[in-house]
Order: sequence, then structure tokens, then C-alpha cells
Amino acid sequence: MRTLRRFASGVMALLRELSDESAYQRHLVAHGRAHSPEEWRHFSEHRLRAKYTRAKCC
Amino acid sequence: MKILAHLIWAAIAVLGAYCLGGIALNHGEPINSIWLVAAAACTYAVGFRFYAKFIAARVMALNDDRATPAERLRDGLDFEPTNKWILFGHHFAAIAGPGPLVGPVLAAQFGYLPGTLWIIIGAVLGGAVQDFVILFASMRRDGKSLGQIAREEVGTVGGFTALVTVLLIMIILLAVIALVVVNALKGSPWGTFTIAATMPIALWMGVYLRWIRPGKVLECSLMGVVLVIASIFGGQWVSESATWAPWFTFGAIGLSIAVIIYGYFASALPVWLFLAPRDYLCTFIKLGVVLALGVGILFVRPELQLPAFTRFTDGTGPIFAGKIFPFCFITIACGAVSGFHALISSGTTPKMIARESHAYPVGYGAMLMESFVAIMAMIAACMLQPGVYFAVNSPAGVVGATPAAAVATISNWGFPVTAADMATLAKNVGEQTLFYRTGGAPSLALGMAAIFARGGGGASMLGFWYHFAIMFEALFILTIIAAGTRVGRFMLVDLTAQFSTAAARKMTGLVGVNVVSVAVCAAWGYFLIQGVRDPLGGINSLWPLFGISNQLLASVALCVATTILLKMHGPKFMWITCVPLLWLVAACFTAGWQKIFAAEPALGFLAHANQLERAMRSSPSASTAALIFNDRLDAVVTGIFLILVATILVDSLRAWVGILRGTRDAQVHEAPYVSSELQLEEV
Repeated sequence: MRTLRRFASGVMALLRELSDESAYQRHLVAHGRAHSPEEWRHFSEHRLRAKYTRAKCC
Repeated sequence: MKILAHLIWAAIAVLGAYCLGGIALNHGEPINSIWLVAAAACTYAVGFRFYAKFIAARVMALNDDRATPAERLRDGLDFEPTNKWILFGHHFAAIAGPGPLVGPVLAAQFGYLPGTLWIIIGAVLGGAVQDFVILFASMRRDGKSLGQIAREEVGTVGGFTALVTVLLIMIILLAVIALVVVNALKGSPWGTFTIAATMPIALWMGVYLRWIRPGKVLECSLMGVVLVIASIFGGQWVSESATWAPWFTFGAIGLSIAVIIYGYFASALPVWLFLAPRDYLCTFIKLGVVLALGVGILFVRPELQLPAFTRFTDGTGPIFAGKIFPFCFITIACGAVSGFHALISSGTTPKMIARESHAYPVGYGAMLMESFVAIMAMIAACMLQPGVYFAVNSPAGVVGATPAAAVATISNWGFPVTAADMATLAKNVGEQTLFYRTGGAPSLALGMAAIFARGGGGASMLGFWYHFAIMFEALFILTIIAAGTRVGRFMLVDLTAQFSTAAARKMTGLVGVNVVSVAVCAAWGYFLIQGVRDPLGGINSLWPLFGISNQLLASVALCVATTILLKMHGPKFMWITCVPLLWLVAACFTAGWQKIFAAEPALGFLAHANQLERAMRSSPSASTAALIFNDRLDAVVTGIFLILVATILVDSLRAWVGILRGTRDAQVHEAPYVSSELQLEEV
């Protein structure tokens, strides 16, 4: 049961990483800010600009 | 305990060898797919446990006491120490594209054996090694890109050439994957509606994430997945509606124009509005489908209907011309060795590695996982009846322009199929016809649908699963087209900046962005239209061009990797990257040479142009003149690829000789050593 729970939490952590939600949390912690719609927009603009200058794999 | 471990590994090795022998020597009866799964899994396990570990310990000397860029340059965004299994998933999601799905399906025209062996052996000795060494190199250099590493370690010529090569590859890649989508959707209102519906869904997701529930990406993606699945059912309704079906029924040219326009808008719109939400959706669906396919194959264990070898090993294949060597090895690039992976391994991933030892499972292991995806695609293609496989994948120019002519040609090859069989199959999956659907996606979708239908819903759900598979393939191909067009724009600006900074600056203004976007779309769009008009189906000319270019990029990466190993250890461990490099160079240059100069018109671009020119003397036409021009253009593009990579090879050879003679700096340009202070709970 414990292994299953650990596996599930690992999957959730992966999904959060892929969805940039973890990066957003880290951004909030690193800059000592609270979540707000404005903060998310500021973060995602910066994040996505960097993300989509890199090639996507074939 | 140690003896027990040795015994277990010996058993895995013996089982792997037995399964490889089984699939290699069974030439008579259909073979169960589980043999391929077991052969691949055992070989990967042995490669990972022994070969990769040897490289990690002896060659790279990975050191967990050394701080990685993620720790030293930690900024909470790009540079962030990440759990190795999360990073594994992240890296796998980044490297897994349509390549490992489509390439094996096309290479199945030789039979299941050549492609399968190349996927397994190529990944263990070549592809995974390339990814691992480049990841290691980038990790030791503050996460620098392949181009930057090439400039520092090999020389400025290598760095510049790598940039040009990547831009050209990107253009060919976008054209060929767009062609795959066009061939999958032409004359299919169900598929076209489903894919068209993903666009407003992505826009809605963009608005939702921006204004309604900012930051709730998982929640939004889940709703997106539900809507996409609903759109598949909607597509069925549309295809059965006499009023709506014609609105979503397009020919190949119409669809090509739509895809080009899509590429322009998708790359020019703000990324948060369209590209990013679409990418989130696509990533989750991709991972889910790959997982479901793996489970499905283990559950269904289909038998392979295609033989180990077909008659087309002689180079007369209808899908693409050319013999096993070199064409099997360039047709399957992603899944065995893919140069594109070097861009990912020197992109985001090295900035997220918490401990050096994590590069081992992430760099080497994720490539093995992708290789397994390629094995699954091979199984899905080979479980089709051979006659059906060739009827779906062969162009009209080869098998005949009517269903009756096509089935007669294919049956004469020894793969019996009837027009009635094909009509029934098309009806079962909700399509008008399945003839001439070149590109690999529809035959892969047929295989996947058969596997999924046996797992859930039975024959009545075949149409749903077929269109689910088409949606899955088209969704992420179109996402790559959008992102690739955008990246192509940045590359063009980078390239211009090498000559004129002022001109490059102009290209980043509002007008400049639009002009450059149009230029990039026009470049890949030209090759797409060329592929659609090609009487031999487009795939015959474009896929080898893409394969050659991708493998040449892998050669560039392996040149860089060899230079680094040479600087680190002298010639002692050069063979690790030199062996796959020599193989790729031999395959790519042979393929390139044959595509330009072969005397057979089906194979050689120039021979085909000459044949058309002779035909034009008796009946001149503008369309034939265009085909002749396209053949010559393809020959020139192939020649440019070969010259670019020959330049890098010569540059690398000069560097290697200089290092070995002691006349050249043998210093590696790694970031200075800093002790790691990461706590256990942080990794």
C-alpha cells in the first residue's frame, strides 16, 4: 500500500512538473510572493518564452 | 547475495539472447509479439546495467560530490535540482515525438526483423550512448547547448555548421510530419473534425489558464482531455451527417494549405493563448497513450502477420525505394539513434539534474524507453495483414490508381488482399477508403485500434479507437509544427546575427516576426506541397531526406562526444562514440549518395528527373516541369546536408589528430569543480 501511495505521489509530481505547476511553486518561494492571477501571468510569460525558443523533438 | 545477482543477470542475458535468436531464426510461421517485447526488455536491461554503468563509472567518472549546474546556478526556474524519476519522465516526454512511431511502421516494409534489430541494438550501442554523453557534457558545462559545446570543444566551424544543419533539418522535419498528417486526414471528415476541434479547445484552455483559473494547468488539461475525447464522438456524428461531412472533407492540397496557415498562426499567436495549452494537452495524452499501448500489447499479445523479411529487401519497396542498408537505418532514426535528442540533452534536462549519477538513468534510460515505444509501433504495424499494410501504405503511383489495380498489384507481390476486405475495414473504422494513405500514421492507427478494441469495446469501438489514434498522432505532430515554426524563426534570426546584428534586430520587430514566420512556413510548406504532388507518394523522397538529416545531426553530436572523450582519456575510450559514428556516417553518406545519384528512378532524384525530362519531350506539361525541379532541389538539399556534415567531420578529424599529436589544446572546457551541498531530501 505504501509503495502504491509513493508511486501515485511520484506520478502526481511528474504531472505537476510537466504542467509547470511545480516550477510556479518554486518561483513563488524563490521570490517570496503569493499566488495571484497577475503573478501567474508574469511567471508563465517568462517561462513560456524560454520554453518555446528550444526545438521540440521529432 | 552477489552470486544470486550474477545468476539473475546471467538468466536475463540468456533469455534476451534466446528471444533475439527466436525472432531472428523464425522465418516460417507468424510469431507472437511477446518475443519482441522480451528480446527488447532483456537487451535494454543488460545494456543499462552493464554498458551504461561502465560508461558512467569508468569513462565519465560521475561524481555525486560535484555540484551540478542545477545546484550551483539554482534560480527556481530553469536551473532546479529535480528528483531523478520526475526528470526521467520529463526528459522522456521531451524526446518522444512522432518519429519512433512512424519510422518503424515505414521500415516494416522490409519485414519485422531488420527494423526490430536496429531499434534494439541501435538504441543500446548508439542512441542511448549519444544522449547520455551529450547530457553529461552539457551538465559539466553549465547546461550549454550542443552548438556552444561544439564551438568550444571542436572549433567555430563545427558550431556554425551545427546551427545551419539544425535549421535545415527543422524545415525538412516539419514538411515530412505535416505530410504524415495530411495523408492521414485527406478525405476523412471524422479525423479532420476531431483535429479541427482541438484548436478551439486549446484556445479555450489558453483563456481559462490566463483569466479564469490562472495556474491550474492540470485541472485545465483534464478538461481539455475530456473535450478532445468528446470531439472524437462529435467527429463520428459529423462524418455520418450529409450536411456537415462535406464541410470537413478535404483533398490533400486543401489540407496542406490549411496546415501551412495553421503553422503560421500557431507560431505567431501569443504562446500562452494557443501553443502552450496545446502542448500541455498533447504531453499528457502522449504519455497516457504510450502507457496504454504498452499495457495493451502485454494484455493482447498480438501475433505478427508480416514476415521476418519481405521481398522488398531487394530495394524495390513501394513505400520507399532502397535496400536494407542503408535505408532501414535512416528510416528508423528516433527509436534507435536520433540527432534531435542531442538538442534536448543539451537543453532543459542538464539544468535540472540534482546529482551527476542521475544522468545515467535519465540520459541512457529515457532513450531505452523511447526505443521501446518504437518496438511497440513495429508490433502495431506488423500485426496487420501484409496485404492490408501495403494497400494502406503504398502510393497510387506504384500500385495503381484504382482499388482493383492496387489489390491486383499487391496480391501479385504475394500479399493477398481484396478490394472487399479493404472496403469492410474502411467501413469498420468509419472511413471512405484506406487505400493510398501513405505516411505510416493510418496503418499505425489501425494496429493501435485493433489492440485497444480488444482491450475495450470490441469491434463496435474500432472506429472510435482508430480516430483516437489518429487524433493522438495528429495532435502532437501539429504541436511540433507550431513549436518548430517558432523555433525556426529564432534560428533564422540567430543565423542572420552571425552576419549582421542590425538585420537580426529588425527580424525581431512586429513586421520582422511576421515576415520571418511566413518565410519559415513557406520553406517547409514548399516541401509539403512537393510531397503531396509527388506521384510516388512524397514519403519516398521526404522521409529519407528527413532520416538522413536527423542521422547526420547525430553524427555531429557523436563527433562532439568523441572529441570530449578523446580530451578526457586520450584514445582509450574513443570507440564508445566512434563505433556508432562510423556506422551512421556510412549509412548516411551511402543513403545520401544513392538518393542523389542512383540509376533507378524510384531511388535516385536525378535519375527520376531525367526520366521525367525524357517523358516531357513527348508531352510537355507545367506539372512535370515542377516535379523535375523538385527532384533536382531534393538532390541539392541532400548534397548540402552531406557537405555540411563532411565539414564537421573533417573539422573534428583535424581536432582529433591535433590532440593525439599534442599540437592542439586537449583541455576540456568544463565548469570548475564545486563541492555539492545538496541535502538528501532535496534530491
